[in-house]
Amino acid sequence: MTTGARPYYVPVGDEEQVFTAAFRQEMSLVLKGPTGCGKTRFVEAMAHDLDRPLVTVSCHDDLTTADLVGRFLLQGGETRWVDGPLTRAVREGAICYLDEVVEARQDTTVVIHPLADHRRQLPIDRLGVVLDAAPGFCLVVSYNPGYQSVLKDLKDSTRQRMVAIELSFPPPDVEEKIVAHEAGVEPEEAARFVQLGQAIRRLESAGLREVASTRVLIAAGRLVAEGLPRRAAARAAIAGPLTDDPVVTAGLVEMIDVYLPDGDG
Amino acid sequence: MTARREPHQYEQILGLPLDGTAGDAGVDRLRLLASAIGGRTLEVADGGAGEPAWTDGATVFVDAGSTPTEQVRMVGVQASLLAAGSLEPHVVRRLGRRSALARRYLSVEGHRALAANEELLPAVVRALIDPAVGTTAEGAEDSLAIARGGQALDAPPAAFGTIRPRRLLAALDRAEPRGPAPGEAPRPAAGAARTDLDDLASLDDAEEDDDERSVGHLLSSPVGGGGLLGRLLRRLVSPTRERGRGGPAGADAPTHVGRARSDGRRGGVPARGAPEALDATDLFAPQGRTYPEWDANRRRYRADWCTVHERDPRPGDLAPMAMPDGRALRRPLARLGTGLSRTRRRPQGDDIDIDAAVEARVEALAGSPPDEAVYLESLRLRRDLAVLVLLDVSGSAAEPGPSGWTVHEHQRWAAAALTTALHDLGDRVALYAFNSQGRRAVHITRVKRFDDRLDGRVVRRLGGLVPAAYTRLGAAIRHGATVLEEQGGTSRRLLLVLSDGFAYDHGYEGPYGEGDARRALAEVRRRGTGCLCLSVGAGTDPAALRRVFGTAAHATVPTPEQLPGLIGPLMHAALQSAEAQRRVYQRKERTRVRVALDRRMS
Repeated sequence: MTTGARPYYVPVGDEEQVFTAAFRQEMSLVLKGPTGCGKTRFVEAMAHDLDRPLVTVSCHDDLTTADLVGRFLLQGGETRWVDGPLTRAVREGAICYLDEVVEARQDTTVVIHPLADHRRQLPIDRLGVVLDAAPGFCLVVSYNPGYQSVLKDLKDSTRQRMVAIELSFPPPDVEEKIVAHEAGVEPEEAARFVQLGQAIRRLESAGLREVASTRVLIAAGRLVAEGLPRRAAARAAIAGPLTDDPVVTAGLVEMIDVYLPDGDG
Repeated sequence: MTARREPHQYEQILGLPLDGTAGDAGVDRLRLLASAIGGRTLEVADGGAGEPAWTDGATVFVDAGSTPTEQVRMVGVQASLLAAGSLEPHVVRRLGRRSALARRYLSVEGHRALAANEELLPAVVRALIDPAVGTTAEGAEDSLAIARGGQALDAPPAAFGTIRPRRLLAALDRAEPRGPAPGEAPRPAAGAARTDLDDLASLDDAEEDDDERSVGHLLSSPVGGGGLLGRLLRRLVSPTRERGRGGPAGADAPTHVGRARSDGRRGGVPARGAPEALDATDLFAPQGRTYPEWDANRRRYRADWCTVHERDPRPGDLAPMAMPDGRALRRPLARLGTGLSRTRRRPQGDDIDIDAAVEARVEALAGSPPDEAVYLESLRLRRDLAVLVLLDVSGSAAEPGPSGWTVHEHQRWAAAALTTALHDLGDRVALYAFNSQGRRAVHITRVKRFDDRLDGRVVRRLGGLVPAAYTRLGAAIRHGATVLEEQGGTSRRLLLVLSDGFAYDHGYEGPYGEGDARRALAEVRRRGTGCLCLSVGAGTDPAALRRVFGTAAHATVPTPEQLPGLIGPLMHAALQSAEAQRRVYQRKERTRVRVALDRRMS
């Protein structure tokens, strides 16, 4: 997990220092930021820097406690306990990253409370044990403030034990660098997509649930790197994923045509 | 891929016609571009052949006949002017009626606005910037000072279009009295874009604005506002006029008065004489359905008394609006009737289902293949709820509430938020708007049917609703419930009425109208459909609401922001009571059938 090159992440502010400090102090972290702004990549890069394994769980509204902690399975005539990802991270002292934690059901998020605060314990009812987190264990949760106004499902006491890092889309010059690197395109090419992304992000109420994230810009860039014409790439990677609404799609296609010159221009 | 696509080609690609008025579809495609550059929701419309581009702050008008590149440039300039604050009222006011000054101002400020917005501009627009001019002024005030000075200035390029100070200010005047939008981005005034579209032929800043504004002021004056005089005035100038007050059948034939534009397009309905009115209405919407009405005085129903016409909004009655995202409402609504249920014998799950496990083991030992489904899983109960939102768009909703927003705007916001939230939760949801002009002309406008997608079309239909005419609440409720029962497709149903509770129509006043509305709600609830009546931002007296809504769940919500806190318990109560009513109704029905059978037997 920690071998190999460092995942590509360009810091925008002091987020790397904050993360490191919180990790050393055995505090839990909460990352806020819109979809596709680099939360997951940031955690991957930090896990690499801190030399810890990373366990990522994408939370969804049907995620149960057993999915996190573990469950008994029947094998032949025997029952066998299988650790869930959270239990594994607690035992190994890994960084456990719960993506979009508020999406998880309320009865599920309860389980992270004693882990997130000073106790750093994981009670497993079914086994009748309480696990103490191994050194190096760090709980990182993320949520998208666009979806949820506050972290209301986490107890106040838990929230206060957490350190918050706010991430947003990087400024244009940084984003150009990121798109150029990740997609493997020329900086001028990346700049065009970033400008388009910046314009789309100014649409407040055009019927888009999400704006064009760094992720979709990179996706468009990668299609271009593969030889696809620019506008076709943008339609497939930017307009398509953002909306199903024919009127909004037509508007986005128009923006793509206006911002992205055709051919080699 | 290399050729520029014309709008009809998008239609081919998408397999769907582009929404919006057919004539504008050409430039309408630039709507998102304009909104992105302007940093606010903007419309783009055809400004007429040969006319320079201009904006009223809500819509950018460009010549649909010019080349696509020119159109992009014109939109870019006008949207940049708005984004850079060049068209703020304090500046525009000082331009006054002097077109020469406006032109000089534009030749400086245009470049400044473009330069300020340069990062965002597409290359073709960027090419317009003259950096020498763009950097001379620090802000709009500076540009104005330069324009007022004597120095020679180049005429602005054609793509800069023009500034129409009076049209801008008129649009702003309409927008300004409103308070800050509850949870909503700044958006154009309800009537702004459409008024200007109406008389595009007379593009110069002419006198009509004055007439219109004077009527507007009269209606919104402190005397007129929400008071008796205001209602009287509104009634006098609204599209229909009363005849034979309070009288029964036939007396309610609508007579249309040629009304000025502040009531939107309603004035465009062809004027009809009294006797022919019924036929004309039927021709207009042939699929009318009749409903009975409760006569509280005689304590019996009048059969087939009201005719309800369902219709789609006219293509011109579409306008954008900022949609609330409904996320705040999602949580209270999500709790409705959902719970976790532990389901046995699942192929996967949190715990072992001991019984199933023992059986499986026994089967295995007995030599037959065991059933692998030996787990307990907590499953979310699937929601089985259809909601029909019925939005009151009668003239009384156009009155401003205590916050400066009209009741209509509050209610529309609530309707949008509720529809979005319920839709997101996976409920079946429909949204209809209603008003009436007499018993033969109860109009139900389809904003979103149960099977429609919640998309930009719905948003534009909702945004284009203009309150007008009266409220025959009973007929609307009966029709809404019928649609809900026929098309809802679920066993649990809820009719959500958003109205100021002011039941009023020709021959439908005071206790009569209130009695019928109450009766209609009671009928609907007895059939097992929950009813919830909300009055949002109207400040209606609770006692008056009780007279109209009776024992149906109802509440008055001062502002839409308070909705999330209240909606959960209210909807819960409405559904619970409907459930109980349905059981009672079914028991009564069974008894009735049995008694009838007994009688026949004996």
